[in-house]
Amino acid sequence: MSLEDIRVVVDAGESSPYQADALSGNAPVLLRELAEHVRQLMAAGEPTAIDLNALPLTPADLDWLKATLGEGEISVTLHSDGESTLAETACPGVWWVTHHNESGHVVSRFIEVAFVPELVKAHPEDVKTGLEYLESLIFDLS
Amino acid sequence: MQGPLIDTLARRGVTRRTFFKYCATLASLMALPPSAGRAMAEAMAAAPAASRRPSVIWLPFQECTGCTESITRSHSPSIEGLIFDAISLDYQETLMAAAGHQAEEALHHAMKENEGKYLLIVDGSIPLGLDGAYSCIAGKTNLEALKEAAKGAAAIVAMGSCAAFGGIPKANPNPTGAVSVSDIIKDKPIINIPGCPPIPVVMTGVLAHYLTFGTVPELDKLGRPKAFYGETIHDRCYRRPFYDQGKFAKTFDDEGARKGWCLFELGCKGPVTYNACATVKWNAGTSWPVESGHGCLGCSEPDFWDGGGFYRALSRPADPLKMAATAAAVGAAAGVAITFANRAKKSSAKAAHETVTLADLEK
Ligand code: SF4
Repeated sequence: MSLEDIRVVVDAGESSPYQADALSGNAPVLLRELAEHVRQLMAAGEPTAIDLNALPLTPADLDWLKATLGEGEISVTLHSDGESTLAETACPGVWWVTHHNESGHVVSRFIEVAFVPELVKAHPEDVKTGLEYLESLIFDLS
Repeated sequence: MQGPLIDTLARRGVTRRTFFKYCATLASLMALPPSAGRAMAEAMAAAPAASRRPSVIWLPFQECTGCTESITRSHSPSIEGLIFDAISLDYQETLMAAAGHQAEEALHHAMKENEGKYLLIVDGSIPLGLDGAYSCIAGKTNLEALKEAAKGAAAIVAMGSCAAFGGIPKANPNPTGAVSVSDIIKDKPIINIPGCPPIPVVMTGVLAHYLTFGTVPELDKLGRPKAFYGETIHDRCYRRPFYDQGKFAKTFDDEGARKGWCLFELGCKGPVTYNACATVKWNAGTSWPVESGHGCLGCSEPDFWDGGGFYRALSRPADPLKMAATAAAVGAAAGVAITFANRAKKSSAKAAHETVTLADLEK
């Protein structure tokens, strides 16, 4: 038997060794949880987040969830220590948040339920620094 | 969110949002509820890091330096590295420039200056055979050195499986009479961070906790921080759905192995091993043993070398139906989610859907 006789099969799932198309059945229930959180947001203005890395979800589950929630009108990209994206889904108030590190790996993933994710807002201290900068720009004009 | 650490970070070009993002990820790694990220960010930012850097003394005993290798490979430059800057590492044989008498002097100086306040990190086991002659530093046995350094320590971190449980040196027939730190020191808080080697971010996480709260994190019955060792590898394994469906790889090259099925029958110790590899992964999040197709060895559990073979399947399936049953129950109760399936047994469970305060975290 030569080496060529040994059949080599490469399964789908490109970079990952597991079956990418396997749904575990754990994703659909998350929709109910999200609905509950959105109700809470509307009633009490309380934002919440679900840590997707903390749940037993396969890559296929995540794809399903992302596709099901759809894409909304707005998406924010944060460039700091790797890219982060905060994209509103087709359900306003529900944001798909992905944090990458500098080498491009996903380090954490959340679904945030908020009018605007906290990370997007400018912090008063930073606004203060910004104002100082602005004033120095004006100063330079004269 | 304002304080010395934030200022230090800002001077190095780390913005508030970057820090916040880091804390959100750290909270996720520590299996804390998402809202804990903000609480941690606020507490850590306010920690008096720049003005009073806590002294850390690191003693190496009967070890292979793998633990130090692991820690120093936490991908740099990173915020984790910057948090390391928030401490003053006063003695670390492998990393320090000083040697011989100078090194010993630095050690004793640090011990005297910071008496009762320094954090002592130990890696390696302590040999008791032949009166401790198997491992000596500067003419002192490891036993003597440990007792001396432990006396003035605020807390001790036993880094790696050797310091925590005896590790490889203690494996049968234990020729040097190796024991763990907790076998010797009984009157100090000891944090065990087992693993062969431990995951770098676990170390940073414990340091972050110490900086944030000035206390030892909540520990399990083996002295491990619950944040990282609160769940088994199996609980968080992405191959878990296959385990629940009874789909197992039978050899390392069969169809099941190619399809990424569960490695239980190939000896995976995931079901009885408490560690964070499944979520944190290794080498800057690249992969981890099960993802690269090999079962878990159980390196963060006591006496894992003597467990009877890395490729022998565990004798009893641990809770084969637990996951399926929970999923069914959850499906029935509309509006409740699988978030609970994973977090139910943690004290943080109740907080998962509420605003978290510092008081909640600090226990
Ligand atoms: S037995 Fe191992 S491979 Fe299988 S689900 Fe558990 S941890 Fe993952």
